[in-house]
Amino acid sequence: MTPRESAVAEEILRLAREELELDADLSPEEELAGRLDSVKLLALVVAVEDRFRVILRDEDAARARSLADLARLVVAGQDSAARAGEAP
Amino acid sequence: MSADPRQHPIVRSVGRVLPDHHVDQETLIAVFRELWSGQHYNPARLEDLHRAVGVKGRHLALPLSRYAELRGFARCNDAWIPAAVDLGERAVRDALARAGIAPADVDHLYFVTVTGIATPSVDARLVNRLRMKPTVKRTPIFGLGCVAGATGLTRAADALRAYPGEVAVLLSVELCSLTLQRDDLSVANLIASGLFGDGAAAVVLEGGARPPGPGPRVLASRSSFYPDTERVMGWDVVEGGFKVVLSSSVPEEVRARLGGDVDHFLGDLGLSRGRIRHWIAHTGGPKVLQACEAALELPEGALERSWRSLSEVGNLSSASVLFVLGELLDSGEARPGDLGLLLAMGPGFCAELVLLQW
Repeated sequence: MTPRESAVAEEILRLAREELELDADLSPEEELAGRLDSVKLLALVVAVEDRFRVILRDEDAARARSLADLARLVVAGQDSAARAGEAP
Repeated sequence: MSADPRQHPIVRSVGRVLPDHHVDQETLIAVFRELWSGQHYNPARLEDLHRAVGVKGRHLALPLSRYAELRGFARCNDAWIPAAVDLGERAVRDALARAGIAPADVDHLYFVTVTGIATPSVDARLVNRLRMKPTVKRTPIFGLGCVAGATGLTRAADALRAYPGEVAVLLSVELCSLTLQRDDLSVANLIASGLFGDGAAAVVLEGGARPPGPGPRVLASRSSFYPDTERVMGWDVVEGGFKVVLSSSVPEEVRARLGGDVDHFLGDLGLSRGRIRHWIAHTGGPKVLQACEAALELPEGALERSWRSLSEVGNLSSASVLFVLGELLDSGEARPGDLGLLLAMGPGFCAELVLLQW
């Protein structure tokens, strides 16, 4: 992960712990599927979209296997939105 | 279980009433979209969730336009009381008419709900409206949630075992739409707002010593309490009213425990799952119904009535399982001697199993 992705992953971890009351020992590279059922994963994706103001594509969100994956999606989404904003 | 069938109360009828204000799911989603767009960055994701619960529409206690004014618990509950009394009256009248029993002949009135509160309770108001006799024994029960339709049935049946010459009515009124918390952004609330609908059901039971009428007898029941699962389902009472507690572990609890509960219950009666011809399951939601099917290893179509009810009217909390029972009674499919198992789950977390025989 890049430093920026690591920072986003840390923030997602905080969201998971504090706002969604998910397990405190969730680590960035851990398989999400083993720890979160579909509803909890959805809750996390909603919280991430609200916090970072990005829209994750359904197929990307469903394929996210770890918090690190989610962080990479967020950074990619932010960059994509920034590029779109710069377009003439 | 007594060998003498006269020991067992008979379910004579089930009355069902839905509020007049039907709204299809897409219309409701459009309303929520407006609400969510100010709170969520990607409301489309939540719309998908509302479509995924398998509900085509809901009946609402009030016209859709009136919900915007319902801010705070007092206003919601003030709207709940008259709507609950009106709907409850219609359900009880429907059930009594089906059974050919007059309101004045009712000896026990059980009232269950988890969506509003009233003192005097709704059952008291119905004693006046229906001109029931002054000696009617009333039992209002709040807090059992979705399991209350099944539990109320067993409690009413238990009373009739003590008073086999008497008549009991169980009334369930659930106006889930009047508990909506607009500011709760939790996924639990999003699921609840997509899943739950409004409705009322009433069941007339006659004690076993009365001249037998048509309907299944309540042979036995089993309560099953799951220790230390208080946060699986319930309400947090907040300024705005009832804020839903709905853990994603509900299907897991059902999948892990229901099969064993049913087997122990039936085994104690010398029965097994294969003897059950009719499964009458609470319409908890798609995942809960799938969990029931898996836990009980049911053949395809065994819960078809529950799936259909869920699709047509949503989860009506405690009234749901009674709607499914009513549909089965109306169908005429059950034959003399058939066994049926009515089951529901609710806050506690817990399950209630009721064995019926036609």
